[in-house]
Amino acid sequence: MKNKINIYLIEFAINAILRQKYKSLFVSIVFILLTFLLTSVFFITNSIKYELNSTVDALPEIVIQKTEAGRQQNIDVAEVDKILAVKGVSDAIARVWGYYYFENAGVNFSIVGVDKFENQYKSSLAKIVDTFDLGEADSPLMAIGKGVHAIMQKNYYKEYFNFIKSDGTLKKVTIAGVFDADTQLESNDMIVISKETFREIFNMPQTKATDIVIKVANSSEIATVVSKLRLMYPNSSIVTKESLKVSYQNIFNYKSGLFLALFIISLFTFFIVIYDKVSGLSSEEKREVGILKAIGWRVDDVLREKFYESFIISFFSYIVGVGLAMAFVYIFQAPVLRDIFVGYSELKPSFELPFVFDIQTLFLVFFLSVPIYIAAIIFPSWRVATLEADEVIR
Amino acid sequence: MILSPEVLTLFILNALFSFFATIAFILSVKIFLKWDTDSTCQAQYRLEKQSFLTATIIKYIFIIKVPLFLFFIFTLDKISGLLTGAMCAAGVVNATTYGTYLVLLKILNLYLFAYWLALHNEDMKHEHQPYTKIKFGIYIALFFLLISEIILEGVMFKAIDIEKVVDCCGAIYSSSAGSYISVIFRVKASLLLTLFYGNFLLITILYFLKNKYIFALSNAFFIIISLITLISFFGTYIYQLPTHHCPFCFLQKDYYYVGYFIYVFLFIGTFYGLLTGLLRTSENEISKNYKISLLFNFLYVIFLTSYPVLFYIKNGVWL
Amino acid sequence: MIELKNSTKIYELNRVDKVVALNDISLSIKEGEVVVLKGASGSGKSSILSLIAALSKPTSGEVIVDGKKISKLSDNFASVYRRDNIGFVFQKYNLIPSLSVRDNILLPLVPLNPDAKDAEEKLALVMDMFHIAHKADAIVKNLSGGEQQRVAIARANINNPKIILADEPTANLDEKLSLSFIEIVKSLKALNKTIVIATHDPLFFNLDFVDSVVEIHNGIIS
Repeated sequence: MKNKINIYLIEFAINAILRQKYKSLFVSIVFILLTFLLTSVFFITNSIKYELNSTVDALPEIVIQKTEAGRQQNIDVAEVDKILAVKGVSDAIARVWGYYYFENAGVNFSIVGVDKFENQYKSSLAKIVDTFDLGEADSPLMAIGKGVHAIMQKNYYKEYFNFIKSDGTLKKVTIAGVFDADTQLESNDMIVISKETFREIFNMPQTKATDIVIKVANSSEIATVVSKLRLMYPNSSIVTKESLKVSYQNIFNYKSGLFLALFIISLFTFFIVIYDKVSGLSSEEKREVGILKAIGWRVDDVLREKFYESFIISFFSYIVGVGLAMAFVYIFQAPVLRDIFVGYSELKPSFELPFVFDIQTLFLVFFLSVPIYIAAIIFPSWRVATLEADEVIR
Repeated sequence: MILSPEVLTLFILNALFSFFATIAFILSVKIFLKWDTDSTCQAQYRLEKQSFLTATIIKYIFIIKVPLFLFFIFTLDKISGLLTGAMCAAGVVNATTYGTYLVLLKILNLYLFAYWLALHNEDMKHEHQPYTKIKFGIYIALFFLLISEIILEGVMFKAIDIEKVVDCCGAIYSSSAGSYISVIFRVKASLLLTLFYGNFLLITILYFLKNKYIFALSNAFFIIISLITLISFFGTYIYQLPTHHCPFCFLQKDYYYVGYFIYVFLFIGTFYGLLTGLLRTSENEISKNYKISLLFNFLYVIFLTSYPVLFYIKNGVWL
Repeated sequence: MIELKNSTKIYELNRVDKVVALNDISLSIKEGEVVVLKGASGSGKSSILSLIAALSKPTSGEVIVDGKKISKLSDNFASVYRRDNIGFVFQKYNLIPSLSVRDNILLPLVPLNPDAKDAEEKLALVMDMFHIAHKADAIVKNLSGGEQQRVAIARANINNPKIILADEPTANLDEKLSLSFIEIVKSLKALNKTIVIATHDPLFFNLDFVDSVVEIHNGIIS
C-alpha cells in the first residue's frame, strides 16, 4: 500500500527535532505549560461539577419554599398534610435546616435538624440518624462532618460546642461522633442535631419548618405535580432537582467559559510566540532544506516532513501536559489553582477533588492546542519549503 | 446563547479557519485569474510558490475539519444535557431553525473538501498541472460555503435558548411528527429495504461492469436511501426499540459510539464511489477508488444488516 | 542526452547589479560521456551544473535532458527529475553533519517511503561500492574530508541515476585522495553513466577516459 506510514520520514523528523535542541525545548516547554494549565482547569471544574451533581442527585425531587417579599420565610408544618393529599406525591417531609456562622473560624456550618421517628429525606441522613444518638432536650448531642470536626479541633472544641442562640445565650451541644457522607461537598460542613435542639438554637416555633421536600414516585409525573403545587401555593418558590442541576451546570460553564476567554488571549500569545520562534529560520535550517531539495525532495515532501515534526512535538507535549495535569490535580489536589474555582473555599471547609475521567476534556484540550500550533507553523514551513535550493546551498 | 468551553473551542477554531481560508481565498483568486503553465516569467513562478501555500492551508483545514465534525456532534450531545427536553444532539439540532441546515452544510462541505483534495492530488501528479485553474476555482466557491458554515454555526449557538423546552429525538423522528421527516415513516419499510439492498446490488453489479458515471450516480442515491433506511428501519434495531428512530443517539456512549463507525463507513464508501465519476485520473487510480468504495459500502451494509439479523436470532421475532 | 540551447543565466543581485553567469551557451553531451568543464572559479561552470540539475532555471534558452525540457519544470517536478536522474556531488558535499553516514546516504529515498528491505539493499550496495560501509554508523561531522566525499558520492548514487554531476570534487582533497576520486569516476563510467565534472584541477585535463574538456571563460565557451 502506498499509504502506509513512512517510518524513514518519522525518523528523520525526530532527528530534526533533536537537532534543533533549544528551539524544540522552548516550544515544548511553552506547549506543555499551556496544555497543563488548560487540562488542570478542566479537570478541576469537572470534579467540582461531579461533586455538585452527586450532591444534587441526593436532593429530593421537589422542594417548596415559602417566600415573602422575595425572601424565604418559614413554612407551616401543617402544609405537609395538604401536600400529601395531592395525587402523585408519595411523601412530603418538613425540613428544618440553616446555616450557622462560626465567627472564630470565619466559616459557615450547615445545620440540619432531624427527628428520629420521621422518614428522612435522604439515605445518607437516615444512616447518620441510625448510627448516632442525638440525645435529649437538656443533654443534646450532635453528629458532625469531617471538615467541621477539623475546624472545631483547631478551635479547641474537642468534646462539645457552644452555639450562640438568637437571644444571645449559649447552648452547649456535645459531639457524638464524626460521619462520612457520599460526597465531600455535602458532608464536610454539615452538623446534624435533633429538631428540638435546632428550634431552640434558632428560635423556630414548633409549627414552622424551613421548607418542605416532596417525593414523587413516578419521575415522569414531576411536571404535573409541580403545576398542581403552583396552583396551591402561587406565592411560594417550587424548585425541582432538574432545574437545580441545569443552573449548577450553567454556573460552571460560565466559570470555565470565563477562564477560556482569558485562555483565548494566552492562545493568541502562544500563536505569536511560536510563530516568532519558528519563523526565524536559521541559516543552518535553510541550508538543510536546500540540500534536501537538491537531492530530490519535493516541496510537498519538505512540507510533509515539517508537518510530521510539528505533529510529533505538539502531540508529545500534549501528552506530557495532560499527564502532568492529571498528577497535579488528582495526586496533589491542585494547590492554588483550585481556589480560583472553589470560590467559597474561604467560607466552606475544604474537600478533596474526586477522580473523574472525561474523554471529552482530552479532546477539548487537543483541539485547543495541537491545531493552533500546526497553524502557526504553516507559513514558516511553506517559506522554507519553497526556498531556492540553488541559492541556499552555495 | 450557549458559551460552554466546547462551543468556545469551536469558535476559536472557526476564527482560525476564517483567517487562513481568507488568505487561501485571496491567493486562489490570483492564481485562478493569472495561472499560465506555459509562462516562464517571475510572476508565474511566484504563483507556483503561492499555490503550495494555498493547497497547504486547504489541506490543513480539511484535516482538522474531519475530527472537528465529530467533535461538533459530540458537543451537541453534551449541550443536550443543558436543554430541557433534549436527549441527544437531535434535540439541539432541532432547537433552532438553523440546526438542520448547518449539519447538512457541514456534511456537504466535508464531501467537497475531500473532493478538492482528491483533485489536488491528481493535479500534482502531472507535470503541467492540468487541474490547477479548476481546483482553485472550486476553492473560491468552497470558500463561500465554508464561511457560510462558520457564520451559521455562530448564529445557531447564539440562537439556542436554554430556557426554552425543545423536542427530544423521540418526538422529532416519529411518524406523528408534522415535519418532512415523518414522510419516510409513511412509506413501507419493505419498499425502502428493497430499494436499499437493490441499490447496493446495483453498485456491486456496476463495480464489475465498470461504468463509472452510473456507479457514481448510484452512490449518490445510496447516500439518501441509506440515511432513510437508517432512520426508519435499522435505527430501531440498534436501539432495540420499535419507536426509537433517532440518527444521533447511537453516537453516544450507551451504544458504544457505533454511530461514528456507521457514518464513517458510509462517508468513505460513497465518497470514493462519487469520485470514480467525478475525477478523471489513471486507470489504476480509478480501480482503486472502485475497490475502496465497494469495500466500505459493503462494510456499511453488513454492519447494519447484522443488527436486525442478530436481533432475530436472539429473540425469534422482528420488531 | 544533455543539451543546452542558447542558455543564458543572469543573477540579479539587486535592482541595479546583475551578474551574467552564462552568456548564450550551447552544449551537447552524449550518453555515457565524461565531460570536464574547465574554468576558474566564477567562470560559470557551476551554473551549468545547476541548470543541468534543474536547480535553477535559465534566464533564457532551454535545457533538454533525455528529450525533456527540464528548464520548464515546476519546482516539484524539478525535484522528481533530480531524484530519478541526477546524482550531484557538491563541492562542500552538503551532507547533514549530525546524522550518521547511513542516514545521510538514505536521504534521497526517504520521501519515497521505501520498503525497509529494499532500502537496506540499495544502501549496502553503494556503501560497498564507495568503500564507506565500515563507517556506516559514524556521525558525518567526525569523518575526514575524503570519507565525507565518499558519503556524498554514495548518496548521489543510491537512486542509480543516469547522470552524475560533480562540482570541484578535488578542491578539498590531497593528491592521493584526488587520484582515488578519479578511480571512482572511472568505475562510474564503466557503468555507462554520463558524468559532468566542473573543476579547475589540472589532474582532470589529460585523462584518457575523459571524452571532452570544455573550457569556460566568463560565461562563454572558449
